[in-house]
Amino acid sequence: MKPAAYALAPTAGERLLRNAVVVYIWLLVAVPLVALVRVGLADGLQSLTHALSSPVARAALWLTLWTSTLVALLNAVLGTASAWVLVRYKLPGRALVSALIDLPLAIPTLVAGMMIAVLYGPLTLVGHALELWGMPIMFARPGIVLALLFVTLPFVIRAVEPVLMEIDPAEEEAARILGAGPLRTFQTVFLPAIGPAALSAAIRSLGRALGEFGSIVIVAGNIPLRTLTAPVYIFGEIESGTPRAAAAVCVLLLVLALALHGLASFIERRIGARHA
Amino acid sequence: MQTSLSCLFAAARRPDLRVLSVTTVLALCACGEGRKPSSPANQGPDTSPVSLTLGGYTTPREAYGAIIPVFKAQWAKHSPRPVDFKDSYLGSGAQARAIVGGFEADVAALSLEPDIETIRKAGLITSDWKAGSHGGMVTRSIVVIGVRAGNPKTIHDWDDLAKPGISVLTPNVRTSGGARWNIAAIWGAALRGHTSAKAGDAAAATKLLGAILHNVKNMDAGARESLLNFERGVGDAIITYENEILVGKQKGQSYEYVIPKSTILIENPVAIVDSYVDKHGSRELAKALVDFLTTPEAQRIYAKNGLRPVLPQVASEVAATFPAPSDLFTVRDLGDWAGIQKSVFDTGTAYDLALGQAGGATP
Repeated sequence: MKPAAYALAPTAGERLLRNAVVVYIWLLVAVPLVALVRVGLADGLQSLTHALSSPVARAALWLTLWTSTLVALLNAVLGTASAWVLVRYKLPGRALVSALIDLPLAIPTLVAGMMIAVLYGPLTLVGHALELWGMPIMFARPGIVLALLFVTLPFVIRAVEPVLMEIDPAEEEAARILGAGPLRTFQTVFLPAIGPAALSAAIRSLGRALGEFGSIVIVAGNIPLRTLTAPVYIFGEIESGTPRAAAAVCVLLLVLALALHGLASFIERRIGARHA
Repeated sequence: MQTSLSCLFAAARRPDLRVLSVTTVLALCACGEGRKPSSPANQGPDTSPVSLTLGGYTTPREAYGAIIPVFKAQWAKHSPRPVDFKDSYLGSGAQARAIVGGFEADVAALSLEPDIETIRKAGLITSDWKAGSHGGMVTRSIVVIGVRAGNPKTIHDWDDLAKPGISVLTPNVRTSGGARWNIAAIWGAALRGHTSAKAGDAAAATKLLGAILHNVKNMDAGARESLLNFERGVGDAIITYENEILVGKQKGQSYEYVIPKSTILIENPVAIVDSYVDKHGSRELAKALVDFLTTPEAQRIYAKNGLRPVLPQVASEVAATFPAPSDLFTVRDLGDWAGIQKSVFDTGTAYDLALGQAGGATP
């Protein structure tokens, strides 16, 4: 719901602040964005299709898409379950668990990659055993999924938590008294409330995962056609002096991220409308 | 237009888009504290401080750490002008692009010729940087194969890296100059008939390259990261520079290395960046540094840090440390970097074909 319009006319100082903020946002985000799109589309759409005709680029995009989607789905389920546990049960060391959940957003993702590398690297027992069983995590696709799960951990949990807390316990009690089992109660009382929040947060985690670089470059292996993701591909193209190819894939990821953002916002607005 | 650190950097450098964006702010931070050109000489000896920035690639960092103090002491003997020395190290290609993008290095010390050429083509190097006594090169090395202590997988030559079950490390050719030397070494050895591939048979050379790439477990962004992973226990073998291995062994690492029958001679160039020395008024100092790098004194320091000297006199002193491979070839034998680029690294050529053969089979 929008607040009523402010009755007071803005002073000169307020107008200055307003304009400065608008200029700030434009310079910070919009101008570099336009610059990138300009480079990406410098030779028209043709350069886009040309960049995507390379098998290495296509494989990298595909790998990024499927791992990120898998991670978003896992987040939707595991994140909702985690929020459920955090809200409903008195965990020992609850404050610590809560801090751990926010940790992935607070540390550089490069550090996240190092943590996985240290744990699952070939020198550790875990890493060695996994490799002997033919299920390596480091320098393999499972490592990519693990890194993405780590860096997107808080998204769904933090979106679902407040919604769960808002639900009136009387609704659940009513459902149970009326004879609904736990599953039916979840479906009728909880899911309608937390479903959209979980969905929009999962979509946001997908958008975040699509662009992840820091942790991936350490754990993935970065072998073209095998373990090279789109962001690392982009990095390689820039480093090797072909920014056009890089910019084309950049633009594609950008469009995808914007579309996901739009979708998540749409879902969030619908939640807002229902709550109002 | 020349390429740069990122798509955004590229755009921000264009005059029509020169706005105070995040990227330019970052660029300003990265490029250091506003250096002023030293004042022109007036009467009497010029005692104004002169600054010099060395933009190097990562490998010889320790060598320059030892060379710079010696050079400064020498300079102080014949010039009253105090030197404000700065040095910064990046991957060779990234350093070249940083210099093109406005990092005002007076002297560039890079891993391979094409990276100096990147700077020259951007118009920042206007003189003939190869005119010096050693063709603009200050150090050499060779591409070797690092193996575990005792060589448990009995790896002796390029063909051994193609065997099933061997796990190999080599950096990403898109980001690492070192990786391009590595691939050129295998390619040249194969084309010259020193591997299982018949001499001159490009298809067979591609096949060998593909079999080796199939065994590559991890492609790091640079040679140093790749060696760090090897030191962490990743891989049975690493394709890298001889000097990287020698420095690692000096530091107590247990790995060993084998010199393939046929391998490539790495030559590392140094060039004065004309535009920047003219802007800073530091040409005399920059020239003195570059000349100093090929004196016996500096060459011995390089050799101590595992790099092969270009000066014959020093090379014979340290010959025992640096055995000669039975077939040592140079990029010129492969048609120079332009030729290698065209036959190996351009899209759809040998490297891409080999990658395709290496395929997506293993996870």
